[in-house]
Amino acid sequence: MVDGVPAVEAVGLVKRFGGLTAVDHVDLRVDVGEVYGILGPNGAGKTTFLRMLFGLIRPDAGTLRVFGRTWAEAGPAMLDGVAGFIESPRFYPYLSGRRNLELLAGLDGGDADSRIDQVLDVVDLAGRAGDKVGGYSFGMRQRLGVAASLLRDPRLLVLDEPANGLDPAGIRDMRALVTRLAGSGLTVLLSSHNMDEVEEICDNVTIMRTGRVVYHGSIDQLRAQAPDPSHRLATSDDEQAMRLSAEHPAVSVTAHHDGGLALRAQTADADGYLIALGRAGVAVRALHLEIAPLESLFFMLTETDPATGSAPAGLPRQPRDLTGATP
Amino acid sequence: MTTPATTTPTAGPAAVRPRPVGRGRVIIAYRWEITKLVAQARTRATLAVCLIAPFVFVVLLDRQDRLPKDTLYGRWVHASGFATPLLILGFAAQWVFPLLTSIVAGDIFASEDQHGTWKTILTRSHSRSQIFWAKSLAAATFAVLVVTVLALSCLTAGVLLVGHQPLEGLSGTLLPPGRTAGLVLAAWATALPPLLGFTALGIMLSVLTRSSPAGIVGPIILGLLMQLYAFLNGADTIRHLLLVTPFDAWHGLFAAHPYYGPLRDGTFVSVAYIVICLAVAFTALRRRDITGG
Ligand SMILES: Nc1ncnc2c1ncn2[C@@H]1O[C@H](COP(=O)(O)OP(=O)(O)OP(=O)(O)O)[C@@H](O)[C@H]1O
Ligand SMILES: [Mg+2]
Repeated sequence: MVDGVPAVEAVGLVKRFGGLTAVDHVDLRVDVGEVYGILGPNGAGKTTFLRMLFGLIRPDAGTLRVFGRTWAEAGPAMLDGVAGFIESPRFYPYLSGRRNLELLAGLDGGDADSRIDQVLDVVDLAGRAGDKVGGYSFGMRQRLGVAASLLRDPRLLVLDEPANGLDPAGIRDMRALVTRLAGSGLTVLLSSHNMDEVEEICDNVTIMRTGRVVYHGSIDQLRAQAPDPSHRLATSDDEQAMRLSAEHPAVSVTAHHDGGLALRAQTADADGYLIALGRAGVAVRALHLEIAPLESLFFMLTETDPATGSAPAGLPRQPRDLTGATP
Repeated sequence: MTTPATTTPTAGPAAVRPRPVGRGRVIIAYRWEITKLVAQARTRATLAVCLIAPFVFVVLLDRQDRLPKDTLYGRWVHASGFATPLLILGFAAQWVFPLLTSIVAGDIFASEDQHGTWKTILTRSHSRSQIFWAKSLAAATFAVLVVTVLALSCLTAGVLLVGHQPLEGLSGTLLPPGRTAGLVLAAWATALPPLLGFTALGIMLSVLTRSSPAGIVGPIILGLLMQLYAFLNGADTIRHLLLVTPFDAWHGLFAAHPYYGPLRDGTFVSVAYIVICLAVAFTALRRRDITGG
């Protein structure tokens, strides 16, 4: 438990666009030093939330504090020590990458311009910094966005789907960078629609769906509630394999809708069952993981009816009890 | 580990570690707006045209016998080089002045929408008000600069290519060359208030429509509509409230007994346009949600 002022604290935050409630009574707290993920499918309200954090849009209700300050009290000073980008970072295409950074460093003030070379190195853009941004690839612009954020020497880094549109190597580099920055004590708040990404780099997560929080808690808590991993199983004798499963109550074996069998069990239980199959003369021909447990949990949370199991609006939501749920 | 937020925090801003970040300043943002303008081909091209066009105009005029007699000082263009800047001044009021200023004023806000860069600059220690004043100031700087360049270029072209013969005032008396140069520049200076009025109009349209074409073409069309109304001899009170009327205020300077009433009224009207347009634009920019980009 970290004492003191949280890096980000939202209470009952609401934003409406006409009749649509994009962010619906969201409570969220990011403590200093943690890597926090906001996870949700398209249209969940992640970007809208982060725009409010940056003061780009005004909440209709609720309060949002960054290091204890609200936008109304502090104005742009609320963003002291905060940097990041919303959706894909944008720059002036008719200026070079370096000139764009010089401009932003000028606006930042302080000693930001002395860090330009350093941040260009960090994102591996030093060689192309003299080129106009109009000629940059998507991934280069994304990296320039990270450089522009680091220029502020932030204590809180806010990234909206930072891996969006990057190639596999770019995604790997981006994750490595975030992990490295987090290791240096930076607080990171990142949004994503990818459970893998959040699981890999975040300590805590809030899962959103159509503007509402459907889960929040640590990744470990989330793992504990995840359903059994689901595998596809092919054997030499599916009927006997089904019969044998009756002797293993911890595993569930059903006919797979695409042929073969569907096996749902924790790894240890599955092992016991598979050994039993071999003993009984049933050969295992194929076994592969179909849905990772956290991913299936994510689908359950964001595709089932949010009305069931979610706490009343305005109250902090405890992790949902998912033991009885079916995907 | 995260705990749900159940209470509002007791620790206030005082608990936050101070960080040596420069507070936003209008002058810093203004300098960068100027840098951005200089980097854009369009602004450089506009200045270049203002510098060169008067010379081309005088050369072309020199080659033809027919004079633009319908325009004030049109019949004088071969007789005195001082007539050139006055002829162009009369003509520029029609649509050239609105165009020259709106090229920047109509675009300076909307281009941030076009490039999606509002979120980039508004998350860097500067408030919307500071950015607003920096941009408005940059647009005004460009307006003044472009008209100064055009005025000097017209005067130089006339004097170099035609000569500095004495010019006849509007009441028929001859004006000595030394005084005429000063009067010509003063006449151009009287165009500044309405010009800045059009700058503010361009800024307002740029903020409200978030579209550069609308911000640039809007002031020109409005200017032409005002001309049309004045031309059709609409009610006199309304004619006095039009932003194009002050462009004629310089006529008073060239009378045998100079009169300054139109200049005073025109300046008043121009200031009213500036205040109203900037107030609307400022409020709109402060209130809007930045959702694009
Ligand atoms: N400017 C706007 N006007 C109207 N509706 C909007 C606006 N911006 C967002 N919305 C709506 O708000 C909801 C949340 O959008 P938001 O962009 O925050 O989602 P997101 O979680 O970031 O999704 P994605 O993963 O696609 O980026 C969506 O239904 C969207 O249509
Ligand atoms: Mg988004």
